[in-house]
Amino acid sequence: MLAELKELWRFRELLWSMVERELRIRYKNSFLGFFWSLLNPLITVLVITVVFKVYLRNGTPNFGAYVLAAYLPYMFLNASILDAAQTISGSTHLIKKVYFPREILPLTAIIANFIHFLLALGVFFLYLLAVYLLNPQESPFQITTLYLPLLLVVNLMLTAGLGLLFSALNTFYEDVKYILSVLLWLMIFLCPVMYFSENVYYPSENALHYTLYHMNPVAMLCMAYRKILLAPQDVVLGETTYPALPMDWALFGYTALFGLFILWMGYSVFNRLKWRFVERP
Amino acid sequence: MNAPVIEIRNLRKEFLLSHSGAASVKTAVLWWKRQEVQKLHVLRGIDLDIARGESVAVLGRNGAGKSTLLSLLANVYKPTQGYCEVRGRVAPLLELGAGFHPDLTGLENILFNGIVLGLTRKEIEANVERIVEFSELRAQIDSPVRTYSSGMMARLGFAIAVHVDADVLIVDEVLAVGDYDFRRKCEARIQAFREAGGTIFFVSHTAQDILNVATRCLWLQHGEIVMDGEPLSVMEAYRAGSESDLGAER
Repeated sequence: MLAELKELWRFRELLWSMVERELRIRYKNSFLGFFWSLLNPLITVLVITVVFKVYLRNGTPNFGAYVLAAYLPYMFLNASILDAAQTISGSTHLIKKVYFPREILPLTAIIANFIHFLLALGVFFLYLLAVYLLNPQESPFQITTLYLPLLLVVNLMLTAGLGLLFSALNTFYEDVKYILSVLLWLMIFLCPVMYFSENVYYPSENALHYTLYHMNPVAMLCMAYRKILLAPQDVVLGETTYPALPMDWALFGYTALFGLFILWMGYSVFNRLKWRFVERP
Repeated sequence: MNAPVIEIRNLRKEFLLSHSGAASVKTAVLWWKRQEVQKLHVLRGIDLDIARGESVAVLGRNGAGKSTLLSLLANVYKPTQGYCEVRGRVAPLLELGAGFHPDLTGLENILFNGIVLGLTRKEIEANVERIVEFSELRAQIDSPVRTYSSGMMARLGFAIAVHVDADVLIVDEVLAVGDYDFRRKCEARIQAFREAGGTIFFVSHTAQDILNVATRCLWLQHGEIVMDGEPLSVMEAYRAGSESDLGAER
């Protein structure tokens, strides 16, 4: 694996220019260009907020921000994996004709999506600022936001590992991307995006259920982003109000290790298969 | 002569042949229904040394393994057995404009293609002017490549490949591109490349190209080298050996 990483480092300039190309192509032929990637999460949050506030009468203040804080990382993971899965099979014309480390293709998709994610996080903070300016009672900004880089690293490791794994598998079995799109669509319901992780815990107070739920690293990441970016939010279930739970760093530590393992495994599988990409039957 | 630029030892390459083209989970899961996988032996033990400055043409019928040999040299395939080593920078021209993206402009594609071929951004920027000049596409260089004709695409691809300061040029049947003037220019450029000590390894079916460019010629048949020597005599032997097929191949 060390030799492969060295080779990748030798080709880093290719990786950067691929990312640059990817970003440039994506919006080259569209009128609103780059704003699409920022508009998309905002429209989604608008719809979700209307549904929950107006139709379901959810009284949580600033609910949109809570949705956004989990929705953005979820969409980063979702889009990266689906994009990365198709990179190799979509570039056979290139990999049959020139040599370069093949992992550059899925990594390009992941890094390009990561840059979008960072920009979307910028929009998220602007959203918080706008909410604060409209209703200047208490600042929505949290000191725990300083943990953000740590979360981003874990998130990136997990995403890169899964992206490498599925891009290699999808090259041989094109069913992979269809299975993935279904699973990733279903997973958003099993992550605290449209509800709170407290909803999982209360009112049964089943710690085992809560832990098992957050063993899913994506669910854990969604929860972690919320806990560090936004103020603790009490949850109303029926008539009762339940207190917010603290950030679970032990579970997060497990998620970090899990992410590292996924990255190692994904890269190993990729390296085992990569020379067969051009000659698959 | 010191260490050869290209060193090939007992090089073998097999491909798996599958009768159903579709790769799917179904074929992997239903293992008891799996068809017999056939092996195609494309190269059956090649030994070859090529010294610096040599210009080697490869002859052979379709399916003899010429393109596979070139792809192995370009490091696109891994050998099944044996090894092939190329010392120095390789500029593979397995297909002109393989790395072009249709939505980017000619200039952006020069930068990108150069990086794919192993140059740094600085080296490309130093060469961009000469590449544009050589390709004769100055007026269209800022238009997206999708608006180019195939001839223009070929010119740009060739211009990039011959300006990357490669030690070894690997060319697969792409010398016959462009109009008459551009071909003359390509030939002159290849001549200059050879005089500067560059090594060329190419496949061609055009007798004129081989006689003009090659100093040595290989005849490949069923994955083995059947003859290796001076271009004219190898070509004559090849022609005599496959008199009837040559017309169809050209």
